[in-house]
Amino acid sequence: MAMQRSLDTRPPARRMSKMARREELEFFLFISPWIIGLILFDFGPIVASFLASLTEWPLLEGPKWAGLANYVTMFRDPLFFTALYNSIYFGVFSVSLGLVVSFMLALLLNQRVLGMSMFRTVFYLPSVVSGIAVAILWIMILHQDFGLINSALSLFGIQGPGWLVQPQWAKPALILMSLWGAGGSMVIYLAGLQSVPVHLYEAAEIDGAGPWQKFRNVTLPMMTPVIFYNLIVGFIASLQGFVLVLIMTNGGPANATLMYGLYVYRNAFQFFKMGYASALAWVLLVIIIVITAIQFRLANRWVFYEGDLRR
Amino acid sequence: MSSHEEELARLLKQRGLTRRQVLRVGALLGMSGASMAVLSACAAPPASVPAAPAAEAPAAEAPAAEAPAAEAPAQPAQSIFDAAVGADASWPKSVISDPTSKVTLSVAHAWDATFMERQKQFDELFMKRHPNIEIKAENTPFGEFLQKYTTQAAGGASPDVIYTQFSWAQQLIKSGIFIPLDDYIKNETDFNLEDFTKPSLVSYQRDGKLWLIPYDEGPANLYYNKDLFDAAGVEYPNQNWTLDDLKAAALKITSGEGPNKIFGLGELPSPGDSLMAPPYLMPFGGVYLREPEEDEVLINEPAAVEAMEWWQEFRDKGAVPSPADLQNVAWPAFQFGKIGMTQQGSWATPPIRAGSKFNWDIMIWPKGPKAHVTFSAGSGYGITRDSKNADAAWIYLNDYLSTAGQAYMWGITGRGSPARLSAWPSYLSSEFAPAGAKFVEMAMKDGIASHDIIDQPTGPRVTQAAGPIWDLVVAGQLTVKDALAQVKAAVDPIVAENRK
Repeated sequence: MAMQRSLDTRPPARRMSKMARREELEFFLFISPWIIGLILFDFGPIVASFLASLTEWPLLEGPKWAGLANYVTMFRDPLFFTALYNSIYFGVFSVSLGLVVSFMLALLLNQRVLGMSMFRTVFYLPSVVSGIAVAILWIMILHQDFGLINSALSLFGIQGPGWLVQPQWAKPALILMSLWGAGGSMVIYLAGLQSVPVHLYEAAEIDGAGPWQKFRNVTLPMMTPVIFYNLIVGFIASLQGFVLVLIMTNGGPANATLMYGLYVYRNAFQFFKMGYASALAWVLLVIIIVITAIQFRLANRWVFYEGDLRR
Repeated sequence: MSSHEEELARLLKQRGLTRRQVLRVGALLGMSGASMAVLSACAAPPASVPAAPAAEAPAAEAPAAEAPAAEAPAQPAQSIFDAAVGADASWPKSVISDPTSKVTLSVAHAWDATFMERQKQFDELFMKRHPNIEIKAENTPFGEFLQKYTTQAAGGASPDVIYTQFSWAQQLIKSGIFIPLDDYIKNETDFNLEDFTKPSLVSYQRDGKLWLIPYDEGPANLYYNKDLFDAAGVEYPNQNWTLDDLKAAALKITSGEGPNKIFGLGELPSPGDSLMAPPYLMPFGGVYLREPEEDEVLINEPAAVEAMEWWQEFRDKGAVPSPADLQNVAWPAFQFGKIGMTQQGSWATPPIRAGSKFNWDIMIWPKGPKAHVTFSAGSGYGITRDSKNADAAWIYLNDYLSTAGQAYMWGITGRGSPARLSAWPSYLSSEFAPAGAKFVEMAMKDGIASHDIIDQPTGPRVTQAAGPIWDLVVAGQLTVKDALAQVKAAVDPIVAENRK
């Protein structure tokens, strides 16, 4: 599943043939439903949201022009920084841990073992269970006195923390819970592992490479595009998520799990400050774009694409 | 889902549990996550469900002064109320004539499944009396109601008549979502505004006009589990009880450990609760905000600090569920027999009656060292600005909130605390009312119930700002005095907007 990048090997531009023009037209025709949907259902609300961010809009009354006042207010709002910090904290740790766990799972499930299909199904299943059921299940697992985790810790004489009830442990609890969905990324890693060319392993064996060296010098480099994809997608999703937080902790205790998405929701539908909520949403968009751009920039140093010609 | 799981889920929903509560019970009983997930797929997602129990749940779920509505049942429920009882009362005749052609009125409610059946009975009777007015009732779970209907209102598509709780009322009135009702009331010959208890109208008046009509306004009462009192050898509460008696009883009733632990009291005050001041602070001479303006925080003053420190002993001695306990105890815990005493309005009676398998009753909230006070709060209905049939909507409200209507809906059913004084006899004589119903009336009539609750438009921001600070007290990381000082600092700028 290595992504082919052909920037350096693109043939010189020339006038398009009749067939090429026809193919191009067919291309646009096939993607036109999506483009029309984007314009009608996404582009309009996106523009409206930006305009709303420049207004004071109590939702049930008409918006009043406020210019950049919402953005100025935001930088004086301590809860904005709290929500942003919580979201980035959650994003960094949940994505990092998720990458490692799902990759390790994929490595394990890439073995030739009897019943492997069953194992793959079992590990994938949790990621398709309804979010609400997951939330309730994890409330029980994370229970301070009777939960599975603290009961296991007590076997080693360790007093488990109040996972969802103590401010300093609430975010780690949510990070732990996010591993439940590792099956989704695992499937993508598995596909990536199975597309690593076998001849590379054969060549490595011929050169006397052991298992660790094969992993480090063949598997890992060939998997970097997949890792990079999961990193980008995972981080964006973690910054936007709020439904499970709303169900499990509603941002508490003591705003320890007040995520950015939840704060946007509160401002819009509980405080009736739609203009401010829109501004918050746009700032989140900018933050996501900046972080993603940085990740793409850094990717040049560690993401390897098969067929990539490096100077 | 197995048939016994389906049956349990249906029964729990009929008892007034929300979907989240049903899922908790299911998880506790070890039911499959898939079956519980199917349950959750039966209705709309709980996007705006009230606070999860990171803090003490009932006190912190401030806007839910009423028992939260359950999801609409998957199968039609049989009403436990006889439709004929109360149907032949003396219904008002509005000076406004019925429409000459058929109109359809949409009416938005937030009832639990049991009470929705009574609503349907009322609507059937109304449509028989007014054949040209068709009622289309919409029932939405309480936790989702505000978000759904503010969004509709923003789009200019509100129903004709909507339910509104006290905590939202001023915000919605200020936003212009309702039309004033003074002219309608003035023109009626028998509406009699004097028949409404004074506290019941407070939340619905603004700029000298009345924008909604209350259907109930009731005090917070002390519900108690008689079986737990008997088991602990404690005498039942009486009308001379003081808060010291309540504390002593709660500490004595508290027993056991783990999932079987019994707690003496269900909830403690939190500044994240808009109703906390009258029952928890004012008996000690303290207040939360300056009333009625709600423009300055006073909870950091010595009397209020002393009051909050007094209540802390319940937590220190384990007499109330901790946040960790709340994760384990199936909620609502009073219905499941885990709580000796709880503070609730009379509207909690139907789900408690339906869900409990023990003897219980209600008593007036105990008196404090400085005053005998509890909160009074309620809800009402109004006609929206989007209504195309305002006159027909008024005819509906005039019937619905008349003496006959309030007796039919809130008196006879035992739900209690009708806003009209003339409807109280129907509640006191109802077979569904608890034996202690007379104490509910006593609290309203003797001036014990106070409407000094947080109900200005700044209310949600106040409670959202104060609640997280109090979480640190609950977690043992902040003292009461320091927390209340922080509440003052955080909330004063918010309530300053209320200064005219």
